[in-house]
Amino acid sequence: MPLIGVEQAPILARPFYPDDGPPSPLTASLAHVPEVLEVTLPFVGRVLGPTAIDARTKEIVILRCSSLMECRYCVETHTAVALDCGLSPGEVRALRGEEEAEAVFTNPDDLALIAWVDGVALGRGAAPDEVTARAREAMGHPELVELTLVAGATLMLNRYCSALGLPTSPMTLARLAEEGLA
Amino acid sequence: MTAIADSIAGGEIGGRLWFYANYHCNLRCAYCLTESAPQVNRRELGREQIVERAREGKELGFTSLGVTGGEPFVLDYMPELIATLGSELPTLVLSNGTVFNDRRLGEMEPLAELPVKVQISLDRPDPDANDEMRGPENFRKVVEAVPRLVERGIGVRIATTLEDPEADPHGMERLCELHRAMGVPDQDHVVRPIVNRGRAATNDMGVLAGLEQLEPELTLTADGAFYSPFGPTVRGGELDTDMLVSRTTSPVREPAKMLARIAGNRPAGNDASIGIR
Ligand code: SF4
Repeated sequence: MPLIGVEQAPILARPFYPDDGPPSPLTASLAHVPEVLEVTLPFVGRVLGPTAIDARTKEIVILRCSSLMECRYCVETHTAVALDCGLSPGEVRALRGEEEAEAVFTNPDDLALIAWVDGVALGRGAAPDEVTARAREAMGHPELVELTLVAGATLMLNRYCSALGLPTSPMTLARLAEEGLA
Repeated sequence: MTAIADSIAGGEIGGRLWFYANYHCNLRCAYCLTESAPQVNRRELGREQIVERAREGKELGFTSLGVTGGEPFVLDYMPELIATLGSELPTLVLSNGTVFNDRRLGEMEPLAELPVKVQISLDRPDPDANDEMRGPENFRKVVEAVPRLVERGIGVRIATTLEDPEADPHGMERLCELHRAMGVPDQDHVVRPIVNRGRAATNDMGVLAGLEQLEPELTLTADGAFYSPFGPTVRGGELDTDMLVSRTTSPVREPAKMLARIAGNRPAGNDASIGIR
C-alpha cells in the first residue's frame, strides 16, 4: 500500500497531516480516500483518544484486542502508548499474551475488563454470561458502552492495518527495543 | 435554488463542471499536464457516466460543462456525446485539433446548432516553433482543421499555452492575425502560461499553480473528483492527488458540497488567475 506523503496529500486530508513530521501510516494510507479519512480519523480520535475514561484503561482494551487479533502494527504502536499511559512492562507483556493476566494484574476491575475484551474480540454472538456479569459489576453503563466501542474500533483498525501491512514507525521500533519489548 | 447553485452564484466555486473524458492522446506534448500519449493508461470516464453526471450537475445549478483529456476526440463517441451535453448546457470541449478527418467533421456538424465551442491548441504563428513543443505536423493539421470547423458553423476557440505569454509580443500579434484569418475572433483566443505539473514539471517548465492560483472548478475523472481541471495531472505515470477532493464522483452533489466547503475555507484575497477558459 503506497503511503501518501505531505506533498501529495489531498485537500481534505491535509488538516490531518502534522506540521512537524511524517503522517502516521494510518493517515497516509486513508488519504487515498479523503472523504473517508475525514470522518474515520475524527471517529478513531474521539473513541480511542481522551474522553471521560482514563487513557490507561483504554490502552488495556486496545493492546489486548490488538494482541488477540495478532495485529503487528497496532501491538507495536500501542505497546509504546501503553507504557506512556502508565502500564508497566509486565502489564504490557500480560496484555500481549506473553504472561497470564491473573499473575500480573491485581485489580479485579482490570481483570473483568480484560475478560470482557477477550469475549468481545474472540467470541461469536453474545459474550458468556459470567464474563458479562463481571463486566457489569466492574463498570457502569457509560463505561461499558464506551469500552466496548473502543474494542470494536480497535478490531476494525487491527484488520485494516494487518490486511494492508502498514509499517510501524522506526522511532516506535527503536523505543520497543530499548524497553526490551520488541 | 440548491446550496451548490448559491455557491456558484456567489462566485465561491466555478459554474463549469469539468470532465476528464480520457487520458490518452495521439500527441505527446512536452508540457502536457497529464503525460498523455498514445499508449498511456486510458483512464476513460465513460460516456454514460459523463451524461448522467452532467444532468445531475445541471439540476444542482452548474451553468456550463467542460470536457478535456487526453484528447477527447480520439474516442469515437465524442461528437455525439458533446451534442448530448450541449443540449443540456453550454459546453466547451478542449482538443488538439489534429484528429478531424472528413468523417469526424461530418459527425460534428450537429454541434453548429448547439451552444458548443471546440477549444483548439495553437501556440505559435510558425510551424517550427509550434511543433517543437507539440510534435511534427501539429501546426499544419490545426490550421487546416480550424477553418473547416468554422465553415461548418461550429464555434471554435484558440488556446495558446506559452512558457512566458509576455515574452514575444510580435509573435503574439502574428498569431492573433492568424486566428482572425481563420475566422476566430479575439474574444475566442485564450492565452495562458504553461503550468508546472505533469510533463512540464519533469521538463522544468511553467509556473507553479497551487490552490491559491486556481479557481475552484469541480472536475470529475475516472479516479475521482478534483479541485480544478489543473488538478488530475500525472507525473512519472502516477496520478497527482494533491488536488483530489474525493474519490466519489456520483452523486455529483457529494464532491460539489466538498468543493464548496474547501472553497469557503480558502483565505481571502486569493489570486485565482489561471483557468482553462
Ligand atoms: S497537451 Fe493535450 S494534445 Fe498535448 S499530449 Fe497532452 S493531451 Fe495531448
